[in-house]
Amino acid sequence: MDVAMTSTTDTVCPTCGGHVSEADRFCEACGMELKPGELAPAEAGTSPALDTDTEPTVEINALPPVGPCTSCGGVIGADGYCGTCGVKAAKPRDHFSEQPAPWVAGVCDRGIRHSRNEDSMAIAADPEQGSRALLVVCDGVSSSLDSDVASLAAARAAREVLVAGHAQGIGTESSRSGAIVARLNAAADAASDAVLENTSPDSPNPASCTFVAAVLEDGLLVAGTVGDSRAYWFPDASEAVALTVDDSWAAELIATGISRAEAESGPHAHAITRWLGKDAPDHTPRTTTVRVTEPGWVMVCSDGLWNYCSEAAPLADLVRQTAAANGGEPLATASALVDWANAQGGQDNITVTLARV
Amino acid sequence: MADFTAAVYQNEFLPDGGTDVHAIVTVNCTGAGAAGQSGTGDAGEIIIVDTSGSMGREGVQAAAYAAQTALDQILDGVWFAVISGNDRAQLAFPASAEPVMVKMDPYTRQAAKDAVSRFYADGGTAMGTWLRLAARVFATVPSLSQKHAILLTDGENQHETPEALTQAIQAVTGQFQCDTRGVGVAWQVDEVRRIAQALLGTVDIIPAPNQLAAEFSKLIQNAMSRGVAQADLRVWAPQGAEVLFVRQVAPTVEDLTARRTMINPLTGSYPTGSWGDESRDYHVSIRLAAKGIGQEQLAARVQLIIGDNVVAQGLVKALWSSDEALTTRISPEVAHYTGQTELAEAIQDGLAAKAAGDTATATTKLGRAVQLAAQTGNEEATTRLRKVVDIDDQDTGTVRLKRTVEKADEMALDTASTKTTRVKK
Repeated sequence: MDVAMTSTTDTVCPTCGGHVSEADRFCEACGMELKPGELAPAEAGTSPALDTDTEPTVEINALPPVGPCTSCGGVIGADGYCGTCGVKAAKPRDHFSEQPAPWVAGVCDRGIRHSRNEDSMAIAADPEQGSRALLVVCDGVSSSLDSDVASLAAARAAREVLVAGHAQGIGTESSRSGAIVARLNAAADAASDAVLENTSPDSPNPASCTFVAAVLEDGLLVAGTVGDSRAYWFPDASEAVALTVDDSWAAELIATGISRAEAESGPHAHAITRWLGKDAPDHTPRTTTVRVTEPGWVMVCSDGLWNYCSEAAPLADLVRQTAAANGGEPLATASALVDWANAQGGQDNITVTLARV
Repeated sequence: MADFTAAVYQNEFLPDGGTDVHAIVTVNCTGAGAAGQSGTGDAGEIIIVDTSGSMGREGVQAAAYAAQTALDQILDGVWFAVISGNDRAQLAFPASAEPVMVKMDPYTRQAAKDAVSRFYADGGTAMGTWLRLAARVFATVPSLSQKHAILLTDGENQHETPEALTQAIQAVTGQFQCDTRGVGVAWQVDEVRRIAQALLGTVDIIPAPNQLAAEFSKLIQNAMSRGVAQADLRVWAPQGAEVLFVRQVAPTVEDLTARRTMINPLTGSYPTGSWGDESRDYHVSIRLAAKGIGQEQLAARVQLIIGDNVVAQGLVKALWSSDEALTTRISPEVAHYTGQTELAEAIQDGLAAKAAGDTATATTKLGRAVQLAAQTGNEEATTRLRKVVDIDDQDTGTVRLKRTVEKADEMALDTASTKTTRVKK
């Protein structure tokens, strides 16, 4: 492939053999603490060069965890709780993170109120900071069946398309932008297909999810969305840019002149008007392109975060302050933003993906 | 084969810094079968009858008739004996100087009835000696896995010090179960209740001797329908946690906390005796170290154990949340049984104060009892309370002590104080 996107060194957990990244402190599959120096490289040739630090879907969906308790080292009982300290063993699907390159990371978390994590993410990046990154977030609709499985399949299918794509057009900025938009359309198609593949044909309540993806490539940032998950560009020295407009009742109300605060607190605030799934009316992403000419943060997130800070400017301040408190490290910053949303109540699943340009 | 299920009712959400978890665990048993027929051991039954002089000729005759009725209800094949007690205990049947039991069959049933018909009233009352003899008699049959006795008395335990009775109760605790009944109004509820509570049985008043036979018959029928010889409640709590209390709260309030035996540092076992087809509710309270908002942990595993097998399990959870809508909710089951437990205490404290001549405390406590009985929908308790106090306002608990109260009504209120009503579902 022309555009080589290499992952961080792919490694396996010494306890269970699951794929882990060097940045991971605990194995997502078995919960075992990972110590630097004990990591073994993954078997060569099992994953394409473009692959990231992802595990197969089946591992993230695996339950219950088998390893010792991450809190006290006790034995996890068949009921999923530690036999010594009683801590609930986290299912890998409930909280996972990815960091394909030091400058790109994401955290996906169940939150507090929901019993399942129906959010998902899939990200990828080239090693050189600011060169090429893609961030995909899908938020499963909680009123539909198997949305957690479908949303993860959708995000990964979309990433696969975006990672493989390398059409540059004729090289001008507008043709490069058009080529990325075409890739985003194809990625949304693939995500939609993945949702359908994970929906039982006779399901009374077919799986559905949102879709948002941001592609950063050679100074161009293109975002596409279906639903109410969002993408932002937060330049350090300029005004924050919301790259997406929600497909939601609230957004339609805002378009008629009602204030954002009022619209988003209404009874239908979370009703979305477009989504991916069997009963979806249309899933062509609405796209926005901006030029990235200065340092800043690209953020793609689910409503589990922006529910607590919906306006772009204060959200940018939150991200900048959180990043400053975490030394500008993307994974720590994403993790801290998830913690912040949980501290606000964690009413929904929370996904935060960041690229530091 | 008995089938057990467990269900947990609780609000698992704790506020930031919250430490105390309360849960009601309902354990239900079906298909218990008959006593001694589960294949895990034999059943034994001992009838203990007060034949002290205070019983009088008529009283002893009524007791003998009741014992004969009880013998009719003991299933063939069940090991049995009859003890007559006054200031010392004698094995009335099988007539023997040494402790012994026989299996029930038509011949032994008739022989036992004949022996019982020769009861006569004489001597004093020393219940501790009766209990000790019963334990020795049960111990003669090693195959017994289910041991139950019924004890009838009519008077105070005058020929034995309270300490001697306490020692006897401690000596036999865990060796057999015992339902106790007092006939007439000359016996002490506290004294007899101590025996029943330690021996996992019930206590009640039988106001008149002619009511004895029906009550004995019912007690034996109950015992014979308990096909599960013995089960234990086992409570696991995490390291660093404290089990504040374990109470049975239905059908009666019994504090099990002090009956804990340690299985391992995190697990305690509480005896629950034999089971028939029935449902019992347990209130478990655990104090945990507070965890962060959003964290979840297991506060207790509550299991019913037969032999070494877990036959039912309920999980009590804790989940810390900053959402007040969740954390301020009180489980209706927990609230109901907390009220029922306080009701039992209020009745017992009120009657004790009344007996001690402390009218003010008695009025306050019984007033509170009236209020709690109304709030928790315990109409039976309200009816019994009405016989002891005049109710001005049950919502505020305003009452006046009645000038004249039937002693039997007061004792009935006392013995029934621990009976609870279930949560209306």
